[in-house]
Amino acid sequence: MTNIVTAVWAWGGRVSAAARDLVQSAGTLAAETGGELGVLALGTGAQIAADTLRAAGADVVLTCEEEALDTAPGEAGLAALVAGCEVLRPSLVLLPADSLGRDWAPRLGYRLGAGLVTEVTDWSLEEGRPVFQRLVFGGKAIATMTVAGGPAIATVRPGAGRRDEPPRAGRGEARDLGLAIEAWPSWPRLLRRQTEERQGPGLEEARAIVSGGRGLGGPEGFEPLGELALTLGGAVGASRAAVDEGWAPPTWQIGQTGKTVAPDLYVAVGISGASQHLVGCSRAKTIVAINRDPEAPIFDYARLGVVGDWREVVPALTVALKEMLAD
Amino acid sequence: MHLVVLLKRVLDPEIPQSAFSLDPERKEPTVLRHPFVLSVFDGNALELALRLRDARADARVTALTFGPRAAEDVLRKALALQVDEAVHLLGDENGLPAGRKARVLAAAIRRLPPADLVLCGRQAADWEAGQLGGMLAEALGCPCLPFVSGLSLAPGGFEAVQQVESGQAVYRLPGPAVLTVTNDPGNVLRPARIKDVMAARGRELTTIPLEELLPGTESDEARVETLDLRLPAPRRRAEILDGGGAAGTAALLARRLRELGAV
Repeated sequence: MTNIVTAVWAWGGRVSAAARDLVQSAGTLAAETGGELGVLALGTGAQIAADTLRAAGADVVLTCEEEALDTAPGEAGLAALVAGCEVLRPSLVLLPADSLGRDWAPRLGYRLGAGLVTEVTDWSLEEGRPVFQRLVFGGKAIATMTVAGGPAIATVRPGAGRRDEPPRAGRGEARDLGLAIEAWPSWPRLLRRQTEERQGPGLEEARAIVSGGRGLGGPEGFEPLGELALTLGGAVGASRAAVDEGWAPPTWQIGQTGKTVAPDLYVAVGISGASQHLVGCSRAKTIVAINRDPEAPIFDYARLGVVGDWREVVPALTVALKEMLAD
Repeated sequence: MHLVVLLKRVLDPEIPQSAFSLDPERKEPTVLRHPFVLSVFDGNALELALRLRDARADARVTALTFGPRAAEDVLRKALALQVDEAVHLLGDENGLPAGRKARVLAAAIRRLPPADLVLCGRQAADWEAGQLGGMLAEALGCPCLPFVSGLSLAPGGFEAVQQVESGQAVYRLPGPAVLTVTNDPGNVLRPARIKDVMAARGRELTTIPLEELLPGTESDEARVETLDLRLPAPRRRAEILDGGGAAGTAALLARRLRELGAV
C-alpha cells in the first residue's frame, strides 16, 4: 500500500492543467496499491480548489493559504509540505518537475530522510513498489530507479504516469492544514515578477511549435520562424544554444533543462539534435528537421527532414502552408 | 564578503549519442577516451560569483570540488579565472547517498571562512538529479533559492533573478544562502587568458581528505537504487524530402504534413 502526497499551487482556486494531470496520475497510482492520495493545495483561495482536486482523485485535501506563500513561495511552501507530510505520513511524495517542485523536493527529502528520484518520465509498480524511469546524461541514457528503506520523493515531468483511464474520484475530504507560517528574516523575499508577454499560445499548450537553434546564426532568424508559427497557430521555441547566445529568452528554451512540450507538430530549424534538446520535444507527434548538415543527429530522430538553408526553406514553407490552409 | 562556488567535473555532455556507450555491470557510462569537462551550469555559477567580485573589491571567491585526484582540472580552470582559493575535497563521491554528499560538503564549507553565498549549478550534466543545492542548504541550515540567472549587490545583501516558467522573479536576500544557477546569456563563463592558465598550473590547492569529514555524516536515509541503465531504442532515419528547390520542397513538406495529420 502506497500512501501518496502531492502538492499543487491553487492560488485563487485555480489549478493548472499540468497540476490536475499530476493529481490524476497520482490518484491512479495510489488506488493501484490500495493506498490513498493526499493533496496539499497552496496559496490564497486554495479552498476553492477542493472540488476540482476531489474530482481529479484526491482523498484528502489539505489547504494552506498563509500570506508567506506569496512572498516566499519556496521557503513557506516547504514549511507547509513538511507539516503536511507529518499529518499524512506518505510513503511517496510526487511533486511537479517545475520551478517550485524542483525547489522543494531535495529539501523535503533531506528533512524526511527520503530517497529522491527527480525528473521522472514514467513509473510502474513492481512487486507493489513504485519504480521510476528517468533520462540521464543529457537524455543519452535511461535509468530505472527505485527507493528502498524509507519514503520516496519524485519530481514528475509533464505527462509522466498518464494512463488512458478516467480519473478515480477521491473521497476529497478537505480541511485546513492549520499551520501559521511566519517568514524568517533570512528567507529570500519576492520583490516582483516579470511575466513575459507572448503572442499566441504558450509552449506547453501549443499544437505546433517552430524551434530555432545555433544554426540560425543570429536573433533575426527567429522572425521568419515566428511567421511560420503564426501561420500554424503555434508558438516559437529555442534550443539552449540559441538562449545562451542571447537570441531567445530563457522562457523559450525546450529540453532537459527547459520546457517539455507535446505538440502535434514540432519543426526544428538549425537545431543539430543534442540529446538534451530532444528530451524536451520527444512527445511531439511529428517532428520535422530543417538543417543544412545532412549528418546532423536530428535527422536520426525526426519523422520528416529537409536538408537545406532555412533562410529559403522556412519562408517557402510558410507560403506553401498558407496556400494549403486557404484551400 | 565570501562566495563559495561548487564545481563538478563530468563526462563531456556534448559527446554524441553515437559515441556514447554504457558499462552495464557498473551502471555507468564507459569513459575510456572521452573527455571530462566542468559541468556547464557550475560554469554559470562561477561566472555569477566572479561578476560579484568584479563589483566589490573585498569579495573573495573560493572554488570547491569533490571528487578524485583528476577532478583537480576544474579547480585549475577556476584558478585561471582568478578565484582566490581552490579547495579539493578529495575522495570518491560516487556511491555516496545524496544526503550524505551534502553533509560532507557542508562540513568542508564550515572549515572555510563563513560564506555569504554558496553557488552551484542547478544540476550536474551527468546524472542530472538537481538535488545537491537544496540538500546542501538543509545541511548548512540556510535558505535556498534555485534557478538563479542573475545576481547583484543590494542594500542589506543581494538581489537575485530567478528563472520561472512564465518569466523572472526577483528576490532580495540577506544571505547566507545556497543559490543554484541556471543558464542565461548574462552568465556564460568568461574565457581564461593563456598566461593565467599557465600560472594556475603551479598554484597551491587546499586538499581535504574525505576520510576526515566522513565521521558524523551518517544518517538512516532511504536508499536510491539504480536497477537498470540503458540506451534509448534507435529511431528510424527521417524521410528526407527534396522537391528540387526551396518552393518545391516546401510544397512537398506541406503535403506530407497534411497526410500525416500534423497540420
